[in-house]
Amino acid sequence: MRKLDRLWLALLLALLFGSYPAAAQDVMQLAKKEGKVVWYSSASLSLSQKLCESFNAKKLGVECVLHRDGSGELFTRLQQEAKAGIHNADVLHTSSIGHFVSLRKAKGLTPYRPKGIEKFDQNFIEKNGQWAVVRASVYGPAFNTTKVKESEAPKSWRDFLDPKWRDRKLVNAHPSYSAFVSVGMSALVKLFGWEFFDKLAAQKPIIVQSALDTVVYVVRGEAWMSVGGTAYTSAVAIQKGEPIKHAFPKEGVPLIVSPQAILAKAPHPNAAKVFVDWLFSKEAQQVMVEDGTYVGHPEVEYPKWQTPLKDIKLLVIPEEEAEEMRKPVLDNFRAKFGV
Amino acid sequence: MAKAEPTIRVRRFDPTALVWTMSAILLLALIVGPMYFLVRESFLLPSEQGGSWSLGNYIKAYTNPLYREPIVWTMVISVSTSLLSLVIGSIMAWAVSRTDMPFPGVVRIGVLASFVTPPFLGASAWVLLAGPREGWLNHVYRWIVGAEAESYLFNIFSIGGVIFAMVLYIFPLAFIVVNAGLNTISSEIEDAANISGAGTIATMTTVVFPLVMPALFAGLILAFLEAMILFGTPAMLAIPARKHVMTTQIRAFMQSEDYLVGLAAAYALPMLAVALLFLWFRRRALGRRGFATIGGKGGQRRLQKLGAYRWLLCFCCAVPLICSIVLPYFALIASSVMKRQGYGLSWSNLTLENYWFVFNTHSVWPAIWNTLVLAAMSATVGTVLAALIAYISQRRLVRGSQYLAFLATAPLAIPGIVLAVGLFAAYTHKPVVLYGTLWILFLAYLTKFLPIAFQTSNAALMSIHPELEESSRILGANRLTVFKDITVPLFKAGLIASWVLIFMPSLRELSSSVLLWTTNTKVVSVVILDFYQEGRLDFVSVLGVLLMAITLVVVMVSYRVVGRDFMKA
Repeated sequence: MRKLDRLWLALLLALLFGSYPAAAQDVMQLAKKEGKVVWYSSASLSLSQKLCESFNAKKLGVECVLHRDGSGELFTRLQQEAKAGIHNADVLHTSSIGHFVSLRKAKGLTPYRPKGIEKFDQNFIEKNGQWAVVRASVYGPAFNTTKVKESEAPKSWRDFLDPKWRDRKLVNAHPSYSAFVSVGMSALVKLFGWEFFDKLAAQKPIIVQSALDTVVYVVRGEAWMSVGGTAYTSAVAIQKGEPIKHAFPKEGVPLIVSPQAILAKAPHPNAAKVFVDWLFSKEAQQVMVEDGTYVGHPEVEYPKWQTPLKDIKLLVIPEEEAEEMRKPVLDNFRAKFGV
Repeated sequence: MAKAEPTIRVRRFDPTALVWTMSAILLLALIVGPMYFLVRESFLLPSEQGGSWSLGNYIKAYTNPLYREPIVWTMVISVSTSLLSLVIGSIMAWAVSRTDMPFPGVVRIGVLASFVTPPFLGASAWVLLAGPREGWLNHVYRWIVGAEAESYLFNIFSIGGVIFAMVLYIFPLAFIVVNAGLNTISSEIEDAANISGAGTIATMTTVVFPLVMPALFAGLILAFLEAMILFGTPAMLAIPARKHVMTTQIRAFMQSEDYLVGLAAAYALPMLAVALLFLWFRRRALGRRGFATIGGKGGQRRLQKLGAYRWLLCFCCAVPLICSIVLPYFALIASSVMKRQGYGLSWSNLTLENYWFVFNTHSVWPAIWNTLVLAAMSATVGTVLAALIAYISQRRLVRGSQYLAFLATAPLAIPGIVLAVGLFAAYTHKPVVLYGTLWILFLAYLTKFLPIAFQTSNAALMSIHPELEESSRILGANRLTVFKDITVPLFKAGLIASWVLIFMPSLRELSSSVLLWTTNTKVVSVVILDFYQEGRLDFVSVLGVLLMAITLVVVMVSYRVVGRDFMKA
């Protein structure tokens, strides 16, 4: 009898308090036991690494293990691993909002509201806490200042289709690798239709894998202009004194948001929470800001050289649309650009 | 006849027969396993489309013009690369071994250096050298000719560029084969021709040429296969020019969100068929001798006197080496110490920051460690397995042992990326899940490099007469003891050579690794490709320099231990 009573009591308590009171303390305890968090991140290597290292420097008893790759590659890998029953990743952070929508549909995410997120602009948080946006940037064209005069730089997206930019003068990354491209190009297709693709392909641009690489190509002068690139790294390059400048078209530039989410089958779910909390801390968000990205934390200080987001005309792709457009963009890109 | 006897003895007395049978079975599992799954997947539709048996993958792979173009480019690249490599390789081999050209030793070392340089490293160096706009050589060209800014002499981002960057690191293969072939021809044969009234040219064309013909043919085939299966070079140079070859297309299938393993397998199998066909040709051309076994230098060799032409020939040999070694390493080292890539080499632009960054990069040290562990493991297991199999097949220790030799060389015909697709299909689901561990990479490396080790061991074993073993058998030792105490000590040099010949290419294996790596099992070559894709040529250079430093140490140590013969095969 007594045994049964105790069981009832326990059940009642569990019902009353859920897992809440346990959370704060126990998450940290359990995280320590798990020891590490595996972070699949598509942020540039230097940014991802800086974040991982600052986290490790806090010596919380949880080690951040970084797996950096392109957004597309990370998602494919996740899928292939899941199919094989392997679950390596804890936290996914890419720039492909569409992938997060797909994962939400497949119940592949664990809802979690990072600590302190209530102070953030609510646009940064998925309504059920499935994901939260760590950082944002824009898919922005840039040109090499020694190759192109500022007066001649494109003012509209259509200007990129001018025959004078033909033959390897433009550089474009691959949507299967880079979500900056797949999301960015979805926005362009929405504005100009699929023929924009045909015409752009006819310009015979250089095709690289990562949108990060387009910035490097322009900096080195191997390409005159990028059709679109990771504006956060080009902003840093400009500030470093490299011969590169932005040319944001008058129609606006696609806003690229990069969420993070804890995966449903994360092998280190508590360590993941600790890590995600930290990603949204002021310290981490400040690191991201200094690398040229925009964040949701209200207290960060943006560097002086950074253009405020409100001064940029943005093209915003709704998340559902980003998911729907992803495959058609990829298939059309492959068919029209040949790779 | 004499060889038939031990077989009977083994069956009657030798309990060690288990060892021989086990190694044979292991070999079979190693190769047949992944190939079985490869074929199986190619006939299976993705589970989203029902997962049933069908020819759908083949139809899709060969009717879509998008997928047909890479096949054409692969053929164009392989044919041109192999022909050019053969021409360059044979001229150099002839110059080094049959003429009085100055500095033959330097040329030999140069060829060795090109041989051990990873092709993808050379390719990324050539991006710096021959990018159409900012390649350093194009700058020099414009400066000399006074040409306008957009004109260029070289465009590495083109099919021509791919061929060029491939030839630089494939011609050493042709060199090695032809050199070995030339060494078998004694000068007496040439003398006989001379005495009969033939001049130098006539002797070359009517006597020497037909004699080295099989070697030339073998060199051509090896170069063709190597060009066909290379992944890194086209990934770095052809994709920017909006072109796929078969290997990069296979990777694109594997990267697709639709999980197109079956399509990748269907697309890959014809590569396997072509490779097998060519190997069969090569076998016919060389008789039963593989390229490592031509050996057996006969008679005396005299060097042709070339007079003043010897300097011209020396120049001809220098050009490929300058392109494959001098310029690329200069470019890599220079780029590794540059602060800003948009500016040239100057004191104010010098830094060691890149080294600092790379060595502080999370994934770098584990990757170096993984690479070394994998290379050492594959080299050790590969050497032992290859030696055992060579021994079994030469002494005919198990039934059907003649097929073992074929099986051990068969992986030569399996492109790394195809092997990876097979391993992926075989070991990502139960009962044996190896994906995510070093084991799957280990299997890939072991399988891929087994043929080199086998041929080296086989050649070394051939020179050991069974008499020595038989005498100790008569004294009562069992076969394993004989193998351990008599045979192994006699071909120690061959064993070390095959260890090194697996270790070195394992350090830089990319085409299998690129599909099989995971967070915890990254290797150096994949890190280099990552850096490249992110546009960090400076980091590529740092790791490249490091990789070559490791290779250099291995080469030097093995030179010490084995003598320089190990590369001459």
